[in-house]
Amino acid sequence: MASITTNRIQEEIRAANGGDPVKGKAKLLVVLQRIQARFGTISPEAMQEVADALGIRPVEVEEVVSFYSFLSTEKKGKFTFRLCRTLSCDMSGKHRVAHQLESELGIRFGETTPDGMFTLETTNCMGMCDQGPAMMVNDRIFTHVTPEKVHQIVEECRRQFGEYGTGIVDFIPNTRKLGPILTGVSEPEAGLNKALAMSRSDAIGEIRAAFLRGRGGAGFPVATKWQLAAAAKGERKFVVCNADEGEPGTFKDRLLLLDFADNVMEGMTIAGYAIGAERGLIYLRGEYAFMKESLEETIRTRMEKGLLGESVLEKEFSFDIEVRMGAGAYVCGEETALIESLEGKRGEPRNRPPFPVNTGYLGCPTAVNNVETFVNAALILGKGAHWYKEYGTGKSTGTKLFSISGDCSMPGIYEFPMGITISEMLDEAGGEDAKAVQIGGASGQCVPASRFERIIAFEDAPPGGSIIVIGPDRDVLDVAENFLEFFCEESCGQCIPCRKGTNVLLEGVRLLKRGECSLEYLVKLRKLAGSMKAASKCGLGQSAPNAFMGILDHFQDEILGRKPQR
Amino acid sequence: MSNERLETGEIGGLINVTIDGKTITARLGETLLETARRNGIYIPSLCYHEDLCVAGSCRLCIVEFEETGAIQTACTYPVTQSIRVLTGSPKVRQARRDILGLILRDHRAECTTCLRNGNCELQTLATEYGVTDLPFGKREKPKRKIFDMGPIARDMDKCIECFRCVRTCQELQDVGALGKIGRGDDTRMATFLNYNMLEVLCVGCGQCINRCPVGALTERDDIAKVWAAIEDPTKHVVIQTAPAPRAAIGECFGLPPGRCLTKELNTALKRIGFDKVFDTNFTADLTIMEEGTELLLRLKKALSDKQPVALPQLTSCSPGWIKFVEQSRPELLDHISTCKSPQQMFGTLIKTYYAEMNHLEPSDIVTVSLMPCTAKKFECERPEMGDSGFKDVDIVLTTREMARMIKQAGIDLPSLEKSEFDEPLGLGTGAGQIFGATGGVMEAAIRTAYEIVTGEEVPFEKLRVEPVRGMEGIRQAELPIVKAVDAWKFLEGATLKVMIAHGLANARVVIDKLAAGELADVHFIEIMACPGGCLGGGGQPIPTTPEVREARARAIYKEDEGMPIRKSHENPVITKIYEEFLTDGPCGQTSHKLLHTHYTARGSKIV
Repeated sequence: MASITTNRIQEEIRAANGGDPVKGKAKLLVVLQRIQARFGTISPEAMQEVADALGIRPVEVEEVVSFYSFLSTEKKGKFTFRLCRTLSCDMSGKHRVAHQLESELGIRFGETTPDGMFTLETTNCMGMCDQGPAMMVNDRIFTHVTPEKVHQIVEECRRQFGEYGTGIVDFIPNTRKLGPILTGVSEPEAGLNKALAMSRSDAIGEIRAAFLRGRGGAGFPVATKWQLAAAAKGERKFVVCNADEGEPGTFKDRLLLLDFADNVMEGMTIAGYAIGAERGLIYLRGEYAFMKESLEETIRTRMEKGLLGESVLEKEFSFDIEVRMGAGAYVCGEETALIESLEGKRGEPRNRPPFPVNTGYLGCPTAVNNVETFVNAALILGKGAHWYKEYGTGKSTGTKLFSISGDCSMPGIYEFPMGITISEMLDEAGGEDAKAVQIGGASGQCVPASRFERIIAFEDAPPGGSIIVIGPDRDVLDVAENFLEFFCEESCGQCIPCRKGTNVLLEGVRLLKRGECSLEYLVKLRKLAGSMKAASKCGLGQSAPNAFMGILDHFQDEILGRKPQR
Repeated sequence: MSNERLETGEIGGLINVTIDGKTITARLGETLLETARRNGIYIPSLCYHEDLCVAGSCRLCIVEFEETGAIQTACTYPVTQSIRVLTGSPKVRQARRDILGLILRDHRAECTTCLRNGNCELQTLATEYGVTDLPFGKREKPKRKIFDMGPIARDMDKCIECFRCVRTCQELQDVGALGKIGRGDDTRMATFLNYNMLEVLCVGCGQCINRCPVGALTERDDIAKVWAAIEDPTKHVVIQTAPAPRAAIGECFGLPPGRCLTKELNTALKRIGFDKVFDTNFTADLTIMEEGTELLLRLKKALSDKQPVALPQLTSCSPGWIKFVEQSRPELLDHISTCKSPQQMFGTLIKTYYAEMNHLEPSDIVTVSLMPCTAKKFECERPEMGDSGFKDVDIVLTTREMARMIKQAGIDLPSLEKSEFDEPLGLGTGAGQIFGATGGVMEAAIRTAYEIVTGEEVPFEKLRVEPVRGMEGIRQAELPIVKAVDAWKFLEGATLKVMIAHGLANARVVIDKLAAGELADVHFIEIMACPGGCLGGGGQPIPTTPEVREARARAIYKEDEGMPIRKSHENPVITKIYEEFLTDGPCGQTSHKLLHTHYTARGSKIV
């Protein structure tokens, strides 16, 4: 092996730890991301080098490389095209784009052109669902891609030869409806100022008084989580911002991280103060790599302003924030998988208990919250719990950001108070004739038109941020098939009900589509779906059958008795 | 999320839990599965193994909480509060059936031709849960059988992805040949870039085989070669049997662990057609003479001659350990005793001493050995193992293979009459016998070396050198030498410091310390690749668990105490061989040529 390559690999290994040698797996993912970025692949030699440098075995390096979509042992083309395959982009004409890409490049998906210029892949949701079909070319994002545009993009790449500029993105914020969060009613840093003037327990008390529940999907009471982390014993504690916004149809964190990064970090700092942590980590999904620079810029500015670093606001409290990148794995949005990934490992969910508030990142008490949760926390401290509770229902307080996409005329980001009905929401977004909505993305639930009077709140239809409108002409089996394909790809592969069950359900949907599924078999599949919900290890596996079950429950007439396609 | 927290001080306390309406006492902090099993309550499991860290991935051990209907896996759930659970509620049973159906959809169930037929955890569970049809059909996949060249065979079509092998390889053994590659449905056990097992740091210990619940991992089957040799009238086929298989082979015939069938085995082997049946204990005794002398010589060099010499001395009997150290710490190879393992000493003597004595052509002799070990299959193929001028040991059979061979011959081993080993290499001592247990080599060496140096028997009741016994992963012991005979006067007043480690993760700890210079005052270290020593070897009957290992150890120590001679240096055949054949004595020239070896600094680079 050429020693120049070895030296370059060594450079990247050292750079991953600020120039210092590092042992163990803690920085493994960071090292691999750097090598991938520099060489476009992680070669066997590189894996051996990394293993030797970190004092682990080559197969342990391969374990991690083979887990993440954005890491590859095969040499990719100079330009890697990743077309989003998830539902919203599917609905907005992904297929025609896909065909055009194959014709334009003369290769199939999963292949690289013989000249080593182009690689064609699909990817799961990149958070541009309101502007689909979306596609990434290396780090650059294209939205509203059409077959005509495909040709232009390919030509542009061919002309350029060099690396595509990174961080250049082509999308609009698409904010459609503003509420207190998006209008920024709170004075900058008012929340942080007030929190630091209070005792830790009073700060948590304010959150409790506001009944703030987590915005990531599970809706766990935020004050309880912080209280547990604050009470947990540990020399070090951590605050983690879950910015692995991977749920199909969700893109609201895209807006918050770009335009409201200060509010996010303000909330993280408040959390750090409340639980006694000195360090915050933002786990940013690989698809949002283009935001990394601006987030780090915000961190620098906040350091200069004394909002981060030692003695925040001249109080006896230090807090800093680091941005860490994901590498293309939806399951890392699950908090324990996210922690594993932060620790440089495969993103496999952990057994619970113990919970992260006791045993989290590096075994220390850790509070993991969603991006939007931190923004809400800052708002609550700034404006007070009493003010906050004026929004929403009694049990579900505040407002919620919704990412609306699919068969509607005005897709985009909406801020509604909790408790809005589905039909009100559809009126706003121009999806009045929908036959169903999928709330909460692939792992959420399907609500048919007959139930559109339901409200979106923790006490009724759980407020997942993703709303995908399913129009009257849409085949619900296509929807289920798309979601199940997604889960088959994104299951971590650890537990049997999820890794194998998703595959059986997908096959079942395809049987239904072909008109070859007996009712007897359908009953077996329904039971299997129940077993997956009951027995899967983490939220991914437990919710993977949701879409399938929803369609069975609400659209039996539509899916049975199809003409066999023999 | 539970608000209850377990304070460290509470661990070890007791608490009541109710399982299926029956209230039992749990130890705070233990898992629900441990509580259940300790109290004789059965909860099925597949990815769980007593020796390994918990995975919680097969989900078969789920239980339902009575009050909330919540589901938890018993293997991962720590008991920290009084709970009421059901182990067989309708929801739980349905989920278990579905999980088994999912596994069977992908598992190539060739039960009738599978080596694990009748000893397969999946087969048992499928029967138990009445999975008599395939609820989700069968998925056709291209055959993925992998023919490795080493001692371990993989059949990926049978793999059910419980990853017990990977946890064994990475955590229990700290070898890291196997890994969990891929994601989703494609997650699989594999070697680095699918290289051949022997190319990827595999030491051949076979511990992965012992923990495979199905027939995905097996030893390379060498039975046919043995039958062919036996059936060839021109061949003189000699077998040696090691103590560990003899203490365990009964398990393959339905006996509970812990019964030695040494003499029944002699009868069976002769009936099968082996020309001679010898005892590896004999060369174990010889190893003690050689390795003990080597140690004393190293000590003399260090303490009396004040010359630089590699101390502590490390044992060399365990071929998995040898390859492990060649790979991971080649700079320590000087510390390893140059003695061949008892198996290889035996092979050499058969094709030299024994051949001469019986006027046989070494090329007509086939040496077979019955070992608890898969790494021995690799060891006998090392190029340097041919000091007799021929391949010293031709074929190695594991305990499991031998059990199959005996069954193929239509023999019911436990009911056979007893018979003795053949002369002359059939005489071994109790010291050789205990080589099969962790600490045994050390104990045998101490029994002999102490007596040589002091002129007195070791100061332990019934020769039980208790400080070196037991199952703790790393053990240390000291033996003061108050008085020494003239030849070893320089040792008078010294304290012999020894260490014992078993299982390669423990071995790693020891050699890392050694490399860091922390063990400079230790004289002798016994290391065995497998947990429990040879009795827990990778070729032993399945299952091998902590309790099974304890039982086998008891059987081995019991057999030692029943033997007429229990010290290697008192073995009359050993005395004879030094008079007749190895005439320049232990570690003399002939010994060095025939019984000692050298090692290869392999390093850990794969690419």
